[in-house]
Amino acid sequence: MVNEAGNNGDDKVEGLLSPKFRSVAAMAGWDEEALLMASLVVEDTPDRLPKQKKRSDLLHFKTPPTNSRRKRRAQKRSPASITATVLDLDDQDTAKQESEKKEAESTSIEKLDKKGDEALEEQGCSVVTSSTKNIEPESIEKADTKVAEASEEQGCSVSFSSSAAFPSIDRLREELSCAICLEICFEPSTTPCGHSFCKKCLRFAADKCGKKCPKCRQLISNGRSCTVNTVLWNTIQLLFPKEVETRNAAADLSSREAKRHSPVRAVATHSNVTSSRTTRVLLLNSPESGPSSQERRNSHAMRRQSARASGMPSRNRDISSRRELPSQDGDAALALRMQREEFMESFRTRSSADEQYRSSLALARANLRAMASRAINIRVRGGRGS
Amino acid sequence: MYSGAPSGGIAIGGGGGGRGRGGGRTWPSTTSVSTSGKRIHKEMTELSMEAPPDCAAGPKGDNIYHWVATLFGPPGTPYKGGIFFLDITFPSDYPFKPPKVVFKTRIYHCNVDPSGNVSLDILTENWSPALTISKVLLALRSMFTNPETYKPVVPGIAHLYLGDKAKHDEIAAQWTLRFAR
Repeated sequence: MVNEAGNNGDDKVEGLLSPKFRSVAAMAGWDEEALLMASLVVEDTPDRLPKQKKRSDLLHFKTPPTNSRRKRRAQKRSPASITATVLDLDDQDTAKQESEKKEAESTSIEKLDKKGDEALEEQGCSVVTSSTKNIEPESIEKADTKVAEASEEQGCSVSFSSSAAFPSIDRLREELSCAICLEICFEPSTTPCGHSFCKKCLRFAADKCGKKCPKCRQLISNGRSCTVNTVLWNTIQLLFPKEVETRNAAADLSSREAKRHSPVRAVATHSNVTSSRTTRVLLLNSPESGPSSQERRNSHAMRRQSARASGMPSRNRDISSRRELPSQDGDAALALRMQREEFMESFRTRSSADEQYRSSLALARANLRAMASRAINIRVRGGRGS
Repeated sequence: MYSGAPSGGIAIGGGGGGRGRGGGRTWPSTTSVSTSGKRIHKEMTELSMEAPPDCAAGPKGDNIYHWVATLFGPPGTPYKGGIFFLDITFPSDYPFKPPKVVFKTRIYHCNVDPSGNVSLDILTENWSPALTISKVLLALRSMFTNPETYKPVVPGIAHLYLGDKAKHDEIAAQWTLRFAR
């Protein structure tokens, strides 16, 4: 039927395409428009064949430079296959090459199409032409024998460039989906028995259903410490960027929600950090926290002070207390505050008598030294603890 | 026991203790964002695309946590020609806890007790989150052909099956004729 339509409607197509190609196209169920498109492709490909540079440019244009390994590999492969084509061209006589090329091309187009890739047809001219161009060098290189393989391989790169046409994307989706949530694996974790699930799903399954593989019931040594299978995860991110994006957004939303509802048992580790940071800030702001935080950094200041002739220790002290580093030792804080009061007391009485002032100065110095040593002790303890 | 699933809650964290739960029974929304809801939705679409042979299943009403399934008695068994209705209730932490399957149609089977509760290992201790409703339906179907006689809920039927299969089949066929048609 399709063939007939082509015959009646388009003499140009008739003239351009070999009968073999036409029959193959009919088998693949191409409609008139697709056939016309193909004829256009066939028409201009022979001219373009020697212009390697142009095609490679085109390829680069289609796959913009990225960090992804897979894409880079696809890019790398294309020029390589082109050079191989050049070698082939030298070996074979051109007439044979021409006919062979046409045949290989048509078969590969048909193969691609047979994969149930209707999207290719729908997308129209641009994709059809680009995909055929992609296929062309490699299918020539391998001639008729390995056309099927080549077309399949090239199908991958086509999907990367156009991100719509993949012959077996549904199968891939099935293969890469988590058996627990039935969605594309998000941060897949692989069990010792070789089954992969979302990390979250696997951990949850291990928690709720025992440490067994959900698929084969083999024992998972420790479901708690699941690690992400990076190769698989990268592959999934490349193949299904949209799905990953939506899952990422969902995860963000849920974690934010969780944080909002219970900041203490926040899910993500970074949120834990922030919450502890906020408590620190609170401590710093609260009146009791001043002296407590003083303790730690005093160890520096005190050492300096004791070394220096402490002419105006109180002022020194005030300055230092202003740039406190936080610390959370309650006992030390209390002790320090008491000492500080004592210290201030001694300075308040300074004006009464010079002698008293001197003695109080000595007392203050002793106090400071004691504080410094205590602070150092605390520091050492803290360092060992953490 | 089953008091509704969290409506829009995060089942991963809460495990059924969703925020949407007020007093009494709350109906989970059809467009659920919870893990269980999503998964049940997925299973629903998959079942509608390709159901296992001689089986059908789908939500009873608006509540996707409550399904009805039908099983056709497979040929070559005394249940041939019977249509068996089942109620499937999903727990709120569904893929991690098994669904509850109850026969609504009376059946003469050593693994189905008089009130319709099924004793199937994959629906209790051998449940795995990787199992789906379509797999459960397949298991139920195979239960028709091969009753689990070593762990029956109705020992009398199992005894009869092991001792006098012809008699067992006769009674089962009678029951099928009476209740399942």
